[in-house]
Amino acid sequence: MTQAAVFPETMSEIEEQWRTMSRVLTTKAAIAQTPKELVWALNKARLYRYIPVVPLEKRHAIPLLLVFALMNRPSILDLRRGHSFVEFMVSQGYDVYLLDWGVPGLEDAHLKMDDYILDYLPRAIRKVKLLSGAQEFSLLGWCIGAILTTAYAALRPDDGLRNLMLLTAPLDFSDPSKLTFARWTDEKYFDVERVLAVFGNMPGEMIDYGAKALRPIENYVVNYLKLWDNLDNPSVVESWHAMNTWVTDNIPMAGGAFRQLIVDLYRNNLLMKGEWIVRGERVDLKRLRASLLTVIAQGDHITPPCQSEAIISRIGSTDTDVHRVPGGHIGIMAGSAAHKQTWPYIDEWLGARSR
Amino acid sequence: MAETQSASKSSDPMEAMREMRDAYLGVMSKAMIDAVNTETYAQVTGAMLDGYLTAATPFREGLDKAMLQWLEQMSLPSRQEVVALAERFTNVELRLDDIDAKLDRIVSLVSERRTASKAAPATRPQAAASAVATSRVSRKTATKASAPVARRAKAAKSTSARKPGPRKG
Repeated sequence: MTQAAVFPETMSEIEEQWRTMSRVLTTKAAIAQTPKELVWALNKARLYRYIPVVPLEKRHAIPLLLVFALMNRPSILDLRRGHSFVEFMVSQGYDVYLLDWGVPGLEDAHLKMDDYILDYLPRAIRKVKLLSGAQEFSLLGWCIGAILTTAYAALRPDDGLRNLMLLTAPLDFSDPSKLTFARWTDEKYFDVERVLAVFGNMPGEMIDYGAKALRPIENYVVNYLKLWDNLDNPSVVESWHAMNTWVTDNIPMAGGAFRQLIVDLYRNNLLMKGEWIVRGERVDLKRLRASLLTVIAQGDHITPPCQSEAIISRIGSTDTDVHRVPGGHIGIMAGSAAHKQTWPYIDEWLGARSR
Repeated sequence: MAETQSASKSSDPMEAMREMRDAYLGVMSKAMIDAVNTETYAQVTGAMLDGYLTAATPFREGLDKAMLQWLEQMSLPSRQEVVALAERFTNVELRLDDIDAKLDRIVSLVSERRTASKAAPATRPQAAASAVATSRVSRKTATKASAPVARRAKAAKSTSARKPGPRKG
């Protein structure tokens, strides 16, 4: 091939790569595509039921309710076709429900975790029980969703909760030296009241900055270089596009709930001390009797493993299990190895307890 | 095949550059993680946030005041009024959800009674007695708000029972 022929070919390749780069950076990927129906709504919260694909007689008897964090979209649980935890669980015969907390507005600035735990969650659970016809159910809480589900499980142990799964659960704040967030939000440097007085809710952009600043080079440089290096690999590009769509869709956190997260949990570790009061009731972890699985991400920099380990010794359950997975806070459920390392384990553990 | 690949890899000057770049970024990454984990970083970011809030607050307050005046002149609702309205909507939704829960309970009790009376026609007196007991319990537990709904359901049931069935022939 002559030098003259190679040059235009290279130029067209570069042009194609620029086009791909521009597309993935400026458009949104189609995420959360598993078919579902809206079955309940309250304020901004929405409860979805995924359309079953397994015949009724082959389905598990106990429905599964997924509860994600308050400050991100739950679409990470159903990222893209062929690589979705929800799609996987539906195909394994579970009756899957998803509680989407929605985007809080200024009118929701007063919403506390108390409201989410004792108003929204029990109402959504009532609907799950009604629609599934089951008196018992399983809960899966991820990140802040794990705090909410743990508190609910301890406050309402007789509501029919059979299985509780916690993913990267930030429950123990006893060692601030291992928690970068705890250092940043120390009362010496961070005036939570002043921030909430100005913004009402905690802005999504500030939360996003906080999460990314824990690993600045990875999040602001390496992430984009990974895309640049793989522009000729469609599978990597589509995966990156889907993840970027989720990461850039930031939502604020209700002011009242954010205040509790910082003051009650990060600064005072009230949940683990057994002193956390939710709407006048003390959250006594000994009352949590459901079977418990806690999944810990060994490389998690947002919720270090030490935050999720202590729960096992504090609860009243006799059936407990800890599953450690190599990977980060999000990677263990949405990364390329999730379908081998995390999802089958959850399915196996839950399947045996959903009969 | 593997030899050819490794040969082309080693001859690719970009690959060597990429390796150098990644090694450099690895070192930088560790340094940055250490840096953001220090008290100094927390102090600096805290001071920056404080500075922003101090600078932004008077501007925001002025803007809010001007906007409020303009909205009043235009006979439009203020942000606070819209927020108050939204809060009232949420309260209404909560009440509706309570009513929904009570209705579901009533429907489930009615269907339980029907099933019980169909399942045991021979022991009708016993089934009727237990149904009466169930309805007493439900009446006790139901709040005042659900009582008219339960009465209406009962009335509708007795009306439909009194209706003559379709005649044959």
